[in-house]
Amino acid sequence: MDFNLNKEQADIQKAAREFAAGEFDPDRILEWDRHQEFPVSIWKKACALGFQGVHFPETYGGQGLELLDHALIIEAFCRQDSGIGMAMALSDFGAEMVLAHGTEEQKRQVLPFLAQGKGWLTLAFLEEGYDLSTFQTVSHKNGNGYRIHGKKSYVTLAGTAQYAVVACQAESADRAGQSVFLLTMDVKGIERESMGEKLGMRMIPMQRVSFNGVVVAGKDLLGQEGKGSSYLNEFLNTARVEAGAAGVGIAQGAFDRALDYAKKREQFGKAIVTLDPIKNKLADMLARVETARWMVCRAATSLDQKKSEDRWTLLAKMIASKAALEVASDAIQIHGGYGYMTEGQVEHFYRDARALDLFMESGSIEKSMLGDQIAGRGA
Amino acid sequence: MEILNYTEDHLKFRERVRTFFEKEVTPHVDEWEKSGITPKSIWKRMGQEGFLCTSVPKEYGGLGADFLYSLIVSEELIHTRHTGLAAPLHSDVVVPYIISFGSEELKRKYLPPCVSGDMISAIAMTEPNAGSDLASIQTTAVEDGNDVVINGEKTFISNGINCELLIIVARDPSTSDAYSGMDLYVVEAGTKGFEKSKKLSKMGWHSQDTAELTFTDCRIPKGNRLGYKGGGFLMLMEKLQQERLMVCIGAVAGAERMLRDTLRFCGEKMDFGKPVTKLHNNRFKIVEMAAEVRLGRVFLDKLVADHMEGKSIVVDVSMGKFWTTEMAMRVADQCLELHGSYGYCEDNAMARAWRDMRVLAIFAGTNEIMKGIAVKFMGL
Repeated sequence: MDFNLNKEQADIQKAAREFAAGEFDPDRILEWDRHQEFPVSIWKKACALGFQGVHFPETYGGQGLELLDHALIIEAFCRQDSGIGMAMALSDFGAEMVLAHGTEEQKRQVLPFLAQGKGWLTLAFLEEGYDLSTFQTVSHKNGNGYRIHGKKSYVTLAGTAQYAVVACQAESADRAGQSVFLLTMDVKGIERESMGEKLGMRMIPMQRVSFNGVVVAGKDLLGQEGKGSSYLNEFLNTARVEAGAAGVGIAQGAFDRALDYAKKREQFGKAIVTLDPIKNKLADMLARVETARWMVCRAATSLDQKKSEDRWTLLAKMIASKAALEVASDAIQIHGGYGYMTEGQVEHFYRDARALDLFMESGSIEKSMLGDQIAGRGA
Repeated sequence: MEILNYTEDHLKFRERVRTFFEKEVTPHVDEWEKSGITPKSIWKRMGQEGFLCTSVPKEYGGLGADFLYSLIVSEELIHTRHTGLAAPLHSDVVVPYIISFGSEELKRKYLPPCVSGDMISAIAMTEPNAGSDLASIQTTAVEDGNDVVINGEKTFISNGINCELLIIVARDPSTSDAYSGMDLYVVEAGTKGFEKSKKLSKMGWHSQDTAELTFTDCRIPKGNRLGYKGGGFLMLMEKLQQERLMVCIGAVAGAERMLRDTLRFCGEKMDFGKPVTKLHNNRFKIVEMAAEVRLGRVFLDKLVADHMEGKSIVVDVSMGKFWTTEMAMRVADQCLELHGSYGYCEDNAMARAWRDMRVLAIFAGTNEIMKGIAVKFMGL
C-alpha cells in the first residue's frame, strides 16, 4: 500500500495548481459568481493545456490517464476557486457514460469535442426529486427511432451545451426499463426554462428542459435499450468521485484562506492563530480535509482498478461534501465579520459547498443508500 | 405554568404587528433584497403604528412598554422571512443607550424622532482592525473647546446607510488605559466629516444596508457624549446583554419559522414515492430538530423572564447566544438539506434563511467571545 502520488500524478497536481493560481482572477471570480456566468475564458485555456478529459483515451482527445489524475485536477482547481473548479468539472457532465457505452462514432464525435474545449455536454437525469428508479421522462419507440416526452430539472449548462445525455423511462411493447440517449441540443421540441438564482454553484447555470416529442434516431441510443439504470448507477460512482474531489478542494481552499487570515489578523495584541479556540478549529478543519482526501483517493483508485464498489464512492462523496461544508463554515467563523462579506471569498466556498452536497444526491440520501448496502439490500 | 405572562394587551399588540407585517413588509421583501436596503418609508410606517422603540418612556413619545413588546416585534419580524429591516437593532439595541445614558437634552432631541421613525439609528463599534478585541479600537475623540473631534473608520455597521443617528465608540488618545479611555457619542448623519463610505456586499442579509463609515475631523458638540467621561466601556458591557438577547430571539424564532416552513414544504414534496418528511432517516432528523428548537425556546423565554426581572443574565445570555445561534445554523442546514436539490434554488425561502442565519454566530460578539465570557465567569 503506497500512500504517495507517483511522479506523473504529482506533476499533474503541480501543473493544475500553478495554472489555477496564475489564471483564476479574484475580481473576475466575483463577477462570474454574481452574474451566474460560466467562466468561458478559463475553460478555454484549461482545455488548450489539456486539463479537461485527461482520463479519456488519447484516441478521443484525452491523455489516457486515470480517474485519480482527473480528481487531482478538480481538487486543485476547486482549491483555488470553488466556483471555477466545479464549472470545469461539470463542463462535460456525462462524458464518462459516453466513454463507457458510446459507439465508436459517438465517442469520436463527442469526446475530443469536449476535451478540446469546442463545447459542452450535459446530463439530463434529475427530475424533481432524487429518486432515479422511475423517470417521468419517457422514450417511446417510433419506427426505427424514438420519441422523447418529459421534463428534466437541474440540467447543467443546458442553455449552451451542444450535446446532452438524456435518461428516460423506456416505454416500448417488449421492454420496460430505462434508456439513455445522446442527442444534440438543437433538435426540435426542446424547451429551456431558467431555474433562477442559485445559492451556490452559480458558475454552472442550470435549466429545466422540456422534451416535447423530441424525435431521435436509433443510433442516438447510448448503449443498449433498457440498460439505462445500470449505466446511470455506474456513472454515479465516477461522478461521486469527481464531486468528492471538488469537496476536498473546497475544504482545502477554505482551510488555506482561514490559516492565512489567522496568521495575519491580530487581536488582543497577537496573531489570532496563536489563540487556543482558533488553533483547535484549525486542527478540526485539517482533520476533515485529510480524511476526505484519502477517502476520495481510495474511491478513485478502486474505480481505476475496475473494482466497482459503491461503498467507497458513496463514502467519498458523503464525507468530502460534508467536509467542504464544515470547513468552509469554520473558515467563515475564523474570518469573523470579514468572512460574511463577499470580498472575503470564503462565503463563496461555503455556498458552493452547500450546493455541492445537494446536487445530484444529498448526503442524507447517500447515508440511506449506504445503510441499505450495509444491511444487505438495495443498490 | 407559563414562563412569560402575556396579557390581553400583549396578545392584541402581537396581532396588530403581525397583520401589519403581512400587509406592509412581506410583499416587499424580495424587492428590498434586490435593492440591498429597506426604504425609509417602512420605518416611518412602523413608527406611526407605534412599533418602534416601544420601551421609550411616554414622556419622550414612546409606549413605555415592557420588554415583551420588544420581543413581540422581533419575533413577528422573523415571520416576514427576511432580516434586513433591522428595527430591533434600532429599537432595542441602539436607542436604549440614549434612554439610559443620554442627557435630558439628548433624550428630548432624539428619542421622539427615533420613536416616530423619522430617525433610524445605528451603533458603530467594530473597526477594520478591532473586532472581537473591542478594547483595541483606534477611532479617536479629542475634546476641542466645546466640541469633540472624531477621526477613524468603522466597518460592518448595520443600518449604516439608512441611519440618521449614530452612536459611535471612540477613545480619548490622552488616556492610555484602553478601557477607561472609551466613550460613546451621538453623531447625526450629515455632520461634516461623517461619511457613509461604502455599502458592503454580503453572503446574506441582502436587504440590510451594512456599511463602512469614515470620520475625518468630524466635529460634534461635547454634549453629545453619553454618560460620564470614560464610561463608554462599562455602558457597552451593560447594554451588550440585551443586544445578545435580541440575537437569541432571532435565532430561536428563526429556527421555529424554518422548521415550520420545511415541514409544510417537505410534507407535500414527494420523493421515492413518499412525502420527504416520511423518508429514510428524515423522520428522526426532524424530531431531533424539533427537540432542539423547543429547548431553545424554553431557555430563551427564561432568559427573557430573568432579564425583565432585572437579574444579571451575563453568563446565561452568553451561553444562550452561542447555543441558540449554532442551533439555528444546524436547523437551517438540515432544513435546507430536506429541500433536496430545490434547496439551492433561491426562489425558496430556505435558501435565504440559510444565508441569513450564518452571521448570527459572528455578530454581537462572536461565539468564541461568548464562550470566553462564560469561561471567565465560571472561573475556568
